[in-house]
Amino acid sequence: MSAFTMAAPAVHQAQTACVTPQSSYLCVSRLCKSYDGQGRAVDGVDLQIRKGEFVTLLGPSGSGKTTTLSMIAGFEAPSEGDISINGRSLVSVPVHQRNIGVVFQNYALFPHMTAQENVAFPLRMRRLNTKDAMDRAKRALASVGLSGQLEKLPTQMSGGQQQRVALARALVFEPDVLLLDEPLSALDKNLREQMQLEIKRLHTELGMTTLFVTHDQSEAMAMSDRIAVFNRGKIEQFDAPLTVYDRPATRFVATFIGDSNLFDVVIDDPDEGRVHSELLGAVRATSSNLSAGAKAHLMVRPEAIQFAPLRDAAQERGVFTVSSVLNFGDRALVHGKVGQQNVKAMAVNLDTRLVHTGARLAMSWSHEQAYVLAG
Amino acid sequence: MRWMYWLAVPLVVLVGAPLLIVVPMSFSTSASLIFPPPGYGLQHYAAYFSDYAWLLPTANSLLIGVATALLTLLLVVPATFALVRYPFRGRALGRALVILPLIVPNIVMALGYYLYLGSLKLTQTYLGVILAHACLCVPIAYLILEANLKNFDVNLERAARSLGAAPMKTFWLVTFPILRPGFLAAGLFAFAHSFDEAVVALFISGRDVPTLPRKMFESLRMESDPVMSVVSALLLAAVLLFTILYAVSKHYRSVRLRQRATTPSGTANISNSYS
Repeated sequence: MSAFTMAAPAVHQAQTACVTPQSSYLCVSRLCKSYDGQGRAVDGVDLQIRKGEFVTLLGPSGSGKTTTLSMIAGFEAPSEGDISINGRSLVSVPVHQRNIGVVFQNYALFPHMTAQENVAFPLRMRRLNTKDAMDRAKRALASVGLSGQLEKLPTQMSGGQQQRVALARALVFEPDVLLLDEPLSALDKNLREQMQLEIKRLHTELGMTTLFVTHDQSEAMAMSDRIAVFNRGKIEQFDAPLTVYDRPATRFVATFIGDSNLFDVVIDDPDEGRVHSELLGAVRATSSNLSAGAKAHLMVRPEAIQFAPLRDAAQERGVFTVSSVLNFGDRALVHGKVGQQNVKAMAVNLDTRLVHTGARLAMSWSHEQAYVLAG
Repeated sequence: MRWMYWLAVPLVVLVGAPLLIVVPMSFSTSASLIFPPPGYGLQHYAAYFSDYAWLLPTANSLLIGVATALLTLLLVVPATFALVRYPFRGRALGRALVILPLIVPNIVMALGYYLYLGSLKLTQTYLGVILAHACLCVPIAYLILEANLKNFDVNLERAARSLGAAPMKTFWLVTFPILRPGFLAAGLFAFAHSFDEAVVALFISGRDVPTLPRKMFESLRMESDPVMSVVSALLLAAVLLFTILYAVSKHYRSVRLRQRATTPSGTANISNSYS
């Protein structure tokens, strides 16, 4: 795809136009993208984003998150569906009239322009005179801590500095929406954390509606107001980070975000949260809306598991046999088996003194931290 | 591995000597091309600069070269964008057709042009030579531009568009300046190829619009006129001069960039809390 073939009108726009609730600012409705018959890269994506919200599109590579972003920016035309900002459909608006700021994974700074010229570019396109544009660019660069680097060319700057220039360039014209396409993936760990804070700070200061694409789940957890979890072109869950973590909607979400142990269970009483399994016996858990007798997964995070010495040495069910321990002092990563199933636990406090290879321990958790999701 | 250096010596002599032998020859006092020259003088240079029969082909070649380079770029730039960027039916065939003049023997091409342009009454005209030369230069310019365009990051254009630049503005402000060295190289190679081209010129240019290679070829065949060594020496000097100018300008530019980077601009406040 090239810059010169963009934003063809969508085919089925009429049936799928955004019905925008009052609270929604950026609306994506039934968005689809297929490349000549080869299945759908994006398959019916719906997003309702409030003004000023920081939303992360999270998913493995090829899950459709970047394609979705491309369609919002206008680099690719949707096969079906609608995108609107503030009730105005964008689908037939060409890229250069959308007023959307984009930060690219490789920064995409213009190599023949200085940092200041790069940042002044969108202002000059908006017919600001050269002096005003350069002044505003200077202030924008100062706000990302680059006031001493105005005259440098992109090739003379470090990755982190280039990233800041790209941010300043995407923000200086006060776009309606800011799109960030894995902007931190090329940076090393320290710099990445520094830039995460920087982006959060700018977001708080400017209140810019922001869409952030990443495949890094901890980055998504740390930065977002809400996370949209993508898998195979669809959104599996769109919720606040802790909701996604504690109450994953699907098995995929449970395994993709954070470590999790999943046990096959059968629901006994959905209202009381009673389930049972061969491995664990009868246990209490927090249940979503499932009916009695249904097969389901019980999800327990490693850090929710607590250990105790066995009261009855002959106990068989729910016994955790330790196979390996990485003890960090304050906490210990424990791999073990319950029956034939591998289970991972993060022991804390005094539990770290109980776990040693070969130990047989009683395993428990608070029922709020055991979540049942559909099988 | 020291012996490999010695291997290089005959190579340099073999390649370099024929290039440099024309220089003493051009200062020869002999009336024919013989080596070594019996004496040295400037008489052949005087002959070249006063002989219309030599100056006209020189001007012709310059004119045809420049026109060929421009026409080639006009044809190749859109073709390269289309062939590199847009998938369409028959793209591979289109690319093969563009490259074809590079593979077909020149003499075959020349005969083809002779017959074809003859039927259009374009032999022995500037236009005929320019058209034929442009066809020969298309594959060379195409290959240079194709390599440049394939390395071009499409995100730069996307960035420009998202920042508010319409498609034409994007081309003139971003795509073209970044690809300019590629365009320049393609044009320069087209010019050099046309200036140097003898086979097609022999078939088409005729007596009315003789090019320099054609004149030299005829001069060698008819009279072995030592003035052609003057032409060769001058061309060699031009190439050397050009190379030196290029190196100097490149050096100057990198120095200027470094200066620009190290001198903070007058008004910038250097309270950088991050670095």
